[in-house]
Amino acid sequence: MATTAQNLLQDKAIHRLLVTLVARDLRVLVKAPWIIVSRGLAFVVQIFVFAVLMSRLVDVPGFDFFTYYALGTVLVTVASVAFLTGYDVYEENETGMLDYLLSLPLSRRGYVMARSVGGALRSLVYVTPLFAIVAFLRGFFNPIDIAVSYVMIFLLATGITGLSISVALSVRNQDRFDVSLALLELFFIRFSTALYPQAFMPLAAGMIAPFSPVTMTSDAVRAILGHGTIDLLGVAGLLAFVISMLALGAAIYLRKIEGGYFD
Amino acid sequence: MTIIFQNLTKNFKNVVAVRDFNLTIEDGEIMGLLGPNGAGKTTLILTMATVYHPSRGTVLVNGSDVKRAPTLVRSMIGIAFQDPRFDRLLSVHEVLDWHAKITGVAKGVRASRVEDVMRRLGLWEVRKRRTWALSGGMKKRVEDSKVFIQRPPVAVFDEPTAYLDLQTRLLVWDMIKEMKEEGRTIILATNMMDEAEKLSDRVTIMNLGRLVALGTPSQLRHNVKGGEVIEVKPSDSFKIDLEALRMLPNVEDMSVSDGTLKLFVTEGRKALPIILEKLSEQGIGVESIYLKEASLEDVFLQYAGSKLTS
Repeated sequence: MATTAQNLLQDKAIHRLLVTLVARDLRVLVKAPWIIVSRGLAFVVQIFVFAVLMSRLVDVPGFDFFTYYALGTVLVTVASVAFLTGYDVYEENETGMLDYLLSLPLSRRGYVMARSVGGALRSLVYVTPLFAIVAFLRGFFNPIDIAVSYVMIFLLATGITGLSISVALSVRNQDRFDVSLALLELFFIRFSTALYPQAFMPLAAGMIAPFSPVTMTSDAVRAILGHGTIDLLGVAGLLAFVISMLALGAAIYLRKIEGGYFD
Repeated sequence: MTIIFQNLTKNFKNVVAVRDFNLTIEDGEIMGLLGPNGAGKTTLILTMATVYHPSRGTVLVNGSDVKRAPTLVRSMIGIAFQDPRFDRLLSVHEVLDWHAKITGVAKGVRASRVEDVMRRLGLWEVRKRRTWALSGGMKKRVEDSKVFIQRPPVAVFDEPTAYLDLQTRLLVWDMIKEMKEEGRTIILATNMMDEAEKLSDRVTIMNLGRLVALGTPSQLRHNVKGGEVIEVKPSDSFKIDLEALRMLPNVEDMSVSDGTLKLFVTEGRKALPIILEKLSEQGIGVESIYLKEASLEDVFLQYAGSKLTS
């Protein structure tokens, strides 16, 4: 009994620590509103200029390219913001801030989990107003569909954050790090069906696109919001991506950081 | 809480930062950790704090092994880093409040403790200012404040008074002493001899990753050959016949650093005129000469063969 109570207390304490760590990521975001504003403006330009223009150019019966492109832009923004956590962690590693964070009373797995969730929540905060604009314009008002879409978007953001943290801790050279993340962004975003259907893509890009988690998420979100159906294959692929990225992140923290680094 | 370093070695690829390090820090003790840059002090601290994993050997903090129970060990330690480590975008209050939360300071006392420490260290007026806008000294106060607020069983201060004015320096010393009076174990890594002498119960001197001397400041000073030091600033140190000086009675050892000659002697009052006479015979002018008791600086010079530099 006493042990159970103790465990409960300990669990509560760990949750409190994780929440505190997640809150840090969110607070840093709120302290830099210019990032939200600039990304928001970019989004508005994307959907009210490019999406409108492209929907006039692409004339396929029964296919609403504006909706397709606007939802894809939300997903692209989520992915881009999730990658930002990697840049944060790289900077923390370079400035020694990481030593401080790793000296705090949290398990390494808990730390990776909290950073990934923090990064993912940060992405959600970013895109919520943008998502609301799209939902309003296209009449997506079913709360269950919206909630399921949010879960999908959250999973994508968590996986990408975990991946970007792994890259940040593995690459010890600024140029290589920048190139690595740029290539990953290229694969995840440009070689995905977020902005263009697979049928419109060049052959090589079209072959890679199904393996991009952004493709899985954007197709699943469109299926939910457009038709109220769940793309189980996409969900399974997305879950596999998230779990493997979190595991990779934790493993790299354990081996790379606890094993030590030296400049 | 007792801290035991057992044959601790930490390698970074081919670089051995800490090697075969053995030391027991007693419960409630202030242990001064001295050594030049690159001696391995920070690596030692970060290995104890489980940020680094030991290559060989281990560290026990209150009986808990850093390799087997790292999270438990982390919960017992608080570190004030040499270079401030906090989010630049957050305000002073946000940084300290967040640190208090994440290190488990009870909600009931958190606000009052954060306020108390901020007021004592002169941070109250700037509590809403973002930390990137603070001066170096103010940033250091914030870094030290983290540990004063946390009040962990094992407190580590790495150069706690660097960049601080004299008044604040004395205040930080008082606050460290208060933590000792509360029974906390304290590790004080410093390059400032007066700080180590005034605060430390015992001092560990490190060089090239090894422990080279351990004892109370007084014991270490007495270990200096001869126990007294004659420090000479000659007009031209290159012309001195060092071997002739070494052969003089009462001269136990000597070193030359930055153009200053240090002679470790017994019965300094007798040795002083003989040394002056010898230098005169060699045609060496003397700009200044002092006779003094050996200091920790001299201890370090003797063990490590070089001066401590901040």
